[in-house]
Amino acid sequence: MYFVLFSVLACLSTCHCFTGNDENHCGLLKRLLESSRVSVEINKKGFHREAVTTVELSPDVLSGVRVLLVHRWPRGVYLDPYQLASLSVESDWQILLDSAIDLELPAHKTSGFVTYVYPTVDGPTPRLLKVTIPVHGRYHKPSYDGKTFTSVDIEAPELLLRTEKCTQLSIFEPHAVVDAPCTADNSSACSWVKLQHQQEQGAVGLQFPVGDGSLVTPVCGGTLLVTMISCVALSKYLWKHRLV
Amino acid sequence: MERLISGLTGKYVIFTAAFAIRLALVAYGDYQDRTMVVKYTDIDYHVFTDAARFITEGESPYNRSTYRYTPLLAWMLTPNIHLSMMFGKILFIVCDVLSGLLIYRILRLRGLNSETARHVCALWLLNPLPMGVSSRGNAESILAALVLGTLLCMEARHLIWAAVLYGLSVHMKIYPITYALPIALALRTTRSEDIKRWRWRSFIGFMGSFLNRELLLFASVAGGVFCMLTALFYYMYGWEFLHETYLYHLTRRDIRHNFSPYFYMLYLTADSRWSQWLGLAAFLPQLILLLVASWAFHSDLPFCCFLHTAVFVSFNKVCTSQYFLWYLCLLPLIIPHLSLSVKQGVGLLILWFTGQGIWLGPAYFWSLKATTPSC
Repeated sequence: MYFVLFSVLACLSTCHCFTGNDENHCGLLKRLLESSRVSVEINKKGFHREAVTTVELSPDVLSGVRVLLVHRWPRGVYLDPYQLASLSVESDWQILLDSAIDLELPAHKTSGFVTYVYPTVDGPTPRLLKVTIPVHGRYHKPSYDGKTFTSVDIEAPELLLRTEKCTQLSIFEPHAVVDAPCTADNSSACSWVKLQHQQEQGAVGLQFPVGDGSLVTPVCGGTLLVTMISCVALSKYLWKHRLV
Repeated sequence: MERLISGLTGKYVIFTAAFAIRLALVAYGDYQDRTMVVKYTDIDYHVFTDAARFITEGESPYNRSTYRYTPLLAWMLTPNIHLSMMFGKILFIVCDVLSGLLIYRILRLRGLNSETARHVCALWLLNPLPMGVSSRGNAESILAALVLGTLLCMEARHLIWAAVLYGLSVHMKIYPITYALPIALALRTTRSEDIKRWRWRSFIGFMGSFLNRELLLFASVAGGVFCMLTALFYYMYGWEFLHETYLYHLTRRDIRHNFSPYFYMLYLTADSRWSQWLGLAAFLPQLILLLVASWAFHSDLPFCCFLHTAVFVSFNKVCTSQYFLWYLCLLPLIIPHLSLSVKQGVGLLILWFTGQGIWLGPAYFWSLKATTPSC
């Protein structure tokens, strides 16, 4: 009888432990969501830039928490999948693209795309994460209103968090719960909690130069004139000095 | 000084030295790739290697995006996967030095003595541009070797070999097709009467002069090699092979990294309804000059081919820096026969470099800094 009583008590205490731990992990996640920050800045100039995403996780024990950054890229830029593949070998993050990217199309013939970046795949998540992704500008249509630059806006990525040990994701209102791939090999989908976007960082604007569409007639005329004149002059000269 | 130059360009010294320098550059390139951020190896080499990897896995090389070459190249580079990544670069530098050897043989056949021929060969063998291009992993040297091989065989009148090499070179890149007309004019039966007045009879006679044994042999062997390779790869890889290897290049309107005089015109009119007509208008000067050059200089085949390539590259709708190698490999063949003075030659060279500088300067600012230079 004492044995039965002892086993029942042991069972109850372990059940209490489990629920207690679950609450601890969910509480940790909630605290992370409240005080984490994510921002993006664009380095370098020209058509070949770098997007540096910085994630600050609030100072707490972070074991078991996985981070996912979801970038929604506009059509004016592209990422080179081959460059990313060789980079992710050297660095500790992995990236998943949602669609095939054509490297050569101009901006108006493509659409935006989404990338999923998994920082620090192995090992514990550090408090400060920095992920650098090379970004390239696409060629844009010439402008007809005199502007020599076109603007492309890059928004800060969405920060998604999850931990294996917290399963009651409904308690994280108002932070939304979304489905996203668990890992970069896209073999399964998991539920993640999305950090509510802070308003302090808006989109970062990139400027890319464009041609002047109003010059179409002089450019075409001038080019064809020069090439025709060169053709005639060279033909005359070649014919004059021909070998019989 | 004379003895030093003579010693340096001794027959085997120059070829060995050229190969050794290129090998050293390949080794340095490997070191730079491993240690520095800016890579030595060209992106094209990675494209070739990725395509070769697809072939070793039994798939089409065209699964690699931006692979726009013949499958033969990817097949040749499969040892990159099985043996070492360096294999392709070693192959390219061997073809580079082989091109130098072919230049030497052609010059000797055209009557130059051994020493002068070696000095002229040094223009290719010790030239940093082909050295850099081959050691970085571009496949242009293979085509240079094929074209020079064709010219050597034509010079030595080994027509079947010339035809085989010509068919192979056209398969690898389209531009040698322009040599068809001067080759045909060179091989036709030359008649003693001069065509002073165009009459129907002389016109028919002119057309008839193309129907001789040598020309028909050349045309059938070259055509046969080309068609056989095309049929084989079409059977293996389908429509994608035809599109990526040939049709893409014929309709290519590259609005990025382009030296062509038409680049801005094509960029501004890319989506307009006049685009096709403008493309055709851009093609006319090229065509006219090719026809005139063929007729004027077909009796000197290397010179004619050089002019053809220079015209083709300069008046093409797309021109990247690799294209310059296409006529650079033929330049040593014609230099001994030019009547330009050294001063004129150097002046023209400075003009060429100035043109490059005027083009590349603003291009650098545009691409890497995204600023339009204030004129």
